[in-house]
Amino acid sequence: MAAPRGNTKWQTLARYVAYLVVAVAVLVPYVLPLPLTFKPSDWAKKLYDRVEALPEGSAVLFSFDYDPAAMAELYPMSLGLLRHCFRRNLRPIVMTHWPNGVGLCKQLVEKTAEEAGKTSGQDYVFLGYKPGGSNLVLNMGESLQGAFDRDYYGKPTEGMPALAEVKKLKDIPLVVDIAAGGTVEMWIAYGRDRFGFDLGAGCTAVIAPDLYPFLQSKQLCGFLGGLRGAADYETMLDKPEDATKGMQAQSLVHVFLIVLIISANIGYVWTRVVRGPED
Amino acid sequence: MWYRLRIPLVICFVMGLLAFTQEFIPHPWAGAFRQEMTTWFRIMGGFGMFLGAYSLLHMHITRIRRKMLGWGYSVFVFIGASAMIVSGLTEEIIEAVRPYPQPDAFSLFQWLYDYVQVPCGATVFSLLAFFMASAAVRTFRARNAGAALLLVAAVIVMFGRVPMSEYLGGLFGAPGLFPKSADLLMEYPNMAAKRGILLGISLGMISQSLRILFGIERSYLGGGD
Repeated sequence: MAAPRGNTKWQTLARYVAYLVVAVAVLVPYVLPLPLTFKPSDWAKKLYDRVEALPEGSAVLFSFDYDPAAMAELYPMSLGLLRHCFRRNLRPIVMTHWPNGVGLCKQLVEKTAEEAGKTSGQDYVFLGYKPGGSNLVLNMGESLQGAFDRDYYGKPTEGMPALAEVKKLKDIPLVVDIAAGGTVEMWIAYGRDRFGFDLGAGCTAVIAPDLYPFLQSKQLCGFLGGLRGAADYETMLDKPEDATKGMQAQSLVHVFLIVLIISANIGYVWTRVVRGPED
Repeated sequence: MWYRLRIPLVICFVMGLLAFTQEFIPHPWAGAFRQEMTTWFRIMGGFGMFLGAYSLLHMHITRIRRKMLGWGYSVFVFIGASAMIVSGLTEEIIEAVRPYPQPDAFSLFQWLYDYVQVPCGATVFSLLAFFMASAAVRTFRARNAGAALLLVAAVIVMFGRVPMSEYLGGLFGAPGLFPKSADLLMEYPNMAAKRGILLGISLGMISQSLRILFGIERSYLGGGD
């Protein structure tokens, strides 16, 4: 990160000091945990309650649409949701619209299934990746086995016990899309509104503001936004892990950024008072 | 030659009209047509991936050949792509010829994904925290009333989203003050603005689709108007 032209030596130094403080603020809570507690948000609670309300043995479709870049925020919430499903003896059906996300999905599914002692094909299905985006969703709405004739491990989906009584999307009571892109809107337009299942969502903090209109219109039944959403879910599961630890680091970094913004603006106002207003 | 322009326009019009009308026809034929059409789209999407890979590699070959600024990074594109393609294909072939399945066999492809792609991807995204710190020092300025309002809103949302706000608010007997303020900002002004943008985008998409359907917009055919 080279210093831009025209910056004074002090401005450049201030930037490097800011980088150093951010690094320290991220690392400190992992060494010295802070006594910070928080209440889960209402939208996270709604998603948790929707999963709780499903009868035992119900199928839940998860679309994990992200790659390693968004892993820090989305992997912990995916982990929490899958653990919750296995704990309640639900049948997760896992897929992804992102080719780069297949490896992460595999890790997630195999890790949580092993923890819960569940068997592939019997208690859950990992469908892997298929291209098509919205067309794939439409195909799944007509026939799930037609869209995915085999699971990730190459076993035929027709007659698979984990997919018993699940022939198309409308046979699934809850779909959850964990997204680092625009797939939530796609699931709403081509899936939820057409085939009538409940849709929950989780996304990176950057995308979260885009989804608020769908929360108000009740097109989403619950929502996890960014690392905070993941930490909320861990709290409700009573299994605090990476997201909860991450929230402590995020707390310190946010407070530091706020201090930076305020002090930079005090400096800016002071400069305007001393030098006069800008052109 | 007139047919080189007319035939794609006719295909576009007929397919667009069929795709639109089948939504309103409650007949099994309409459902079968939709199923067939979406399957074709997915097959074309598969070919699109090859086209994307070709386009990416072609761009980087050009950068290396012309020794453009940062061409060394393009070499890593080829190293990375070759490593993943060779390891993936080799393992698929070995798996196909192996007389018995061996699910616990070491996978170089998975190893490269777990220990190279995952850490590299996560590292690049994590640099965002440092860019935000840099932006906080250099660019977030209350230059006018609108910018000042945006800054105040940003500070409330940033603070209200982290547990520190509940802790500090609790010291003054109001742990929910900042989280509730952040929620109010997100659920009302933010949502109203986002809904306006969504409506604008949707109307734009409808008008653009009609322009393509009726052959007014032809830039997708290439070669300009």
